[in-house]
Amino acid sequence: MGIYRYILFFILASANIEARPISYSGGSTLMMFSDNMKDSLYYHYSPSYKYSVGIENLKDKNLRDDYSYLRFTYLINRKNNVHSQRNLYFQSGLSNKSSNHFFYGIHGDWETRRWFLGFDTKKVENRVKNYKQNHLQIGFAPYLGEYGDIHTWLMLKTKKTSIKDKRSLYPVLKFFKGNTLLEFGYNNKTEWDIHLMYRF
Amino acid sequence: MKLLMITLFIVSSWTIASEPHNHDGHSDMMHHSHEGHLHNELVDGEKLEVNPDRFDKFVSNLSNAQVAVISVKGMVCDFCARGIEKTFQKDKLVKKIDVDLAKGKVLLAYDKDIQIVFEDIQNKILANGINAIKMQILVI
Repeated sequence: MGIYRYILFFILASANIEARPISYSGGSTLMMFSDNMKDSLYYHYSPSYKYSVGIENLKDKNLRDDYSYLRFTYLINRKNNVHSQRNLYFQSGLSNKSSNHFFYGIHGDWETRRWFLGFDTKKVENRVKNYKQNHLQIGFAPYLGEYGDIHTWLMLKTKKTSIKDKRSLYPVLKFFKGNTLLEFGYNNKTEWDIHLMYRF
Repeated sequence: MKLLMITLFIVSSWTIASEPHNHDGHSDMMHHSHEGHLHNELVDGEKLEVNPDRFDKFVSNLSNAQVAVISVKGMVCDFCARGIEKTFQKDKLVKKIDVDLAKGKVLLAYDKDIQIVFEDIQNKILANGINAIKMQILVI
């Protein structure tokens, strides 16, 4: 049970902090994520809109283990249209605990002002058990806000891992205004997810 | 003869009244209105596609200025736009900035005597991962 909880923690830690992995040139982003299992604090800096480097500190509330990831994200491809944007990212993280503890993967999204589609596939290697994870997300904006308004997204997330061959699906409510994003997700197994992001 | 003179006067008056105003002698891209609805004015033969209320508010306290209306691709969210705003806030030549998300426009106000370089604007917007594809200029 302990191992599964530990693995589940890794899955959650890597699945909920992928929004906006790169900022504008010279921009910084601070992300906080919290649920009943862990707290995560992730700061990244983008020297260019094409990549970001950052540090993520994780606190495992159940296993009482703290560690950090040195993270690197690279924009492989972006397609801008008048009313849409499509992105493909490579992302990776290396733990301070061990050189055998790291993750890497691909993250892609397509969005308009009304719709969002995203996917994420990654492999996590650690001292407990390696695994793969796939993640899909669809979002809908019930209204189109103007610049500076509060923007709202209704989303559905689904996750599947190679450890548990079982897909979980849960709703997410996302708000953002100005430099701040606030996201709530609810899963009957993991209870509340809270994600706060601030861009400098 | 009298009838011909009257006809010529009416036709010439109508023709002059139909021509766009151009008070500063600049290129045909620069026009402005006396009616307070600049968003309806033709710029370089095209209508400005901006939110009228937003645009009127933007130019309401501007004078002796020019507004560059930049059409962009990929600006689909507030976060993208905010990066662009922050970039131009660092540019001392830019007096005022606004973003029209719905129409995909960035509005930049400069002093009237500034030479606006589209390539420079394109590079600044590209630093945010967004493509600037067109610029239209109005003189206020």
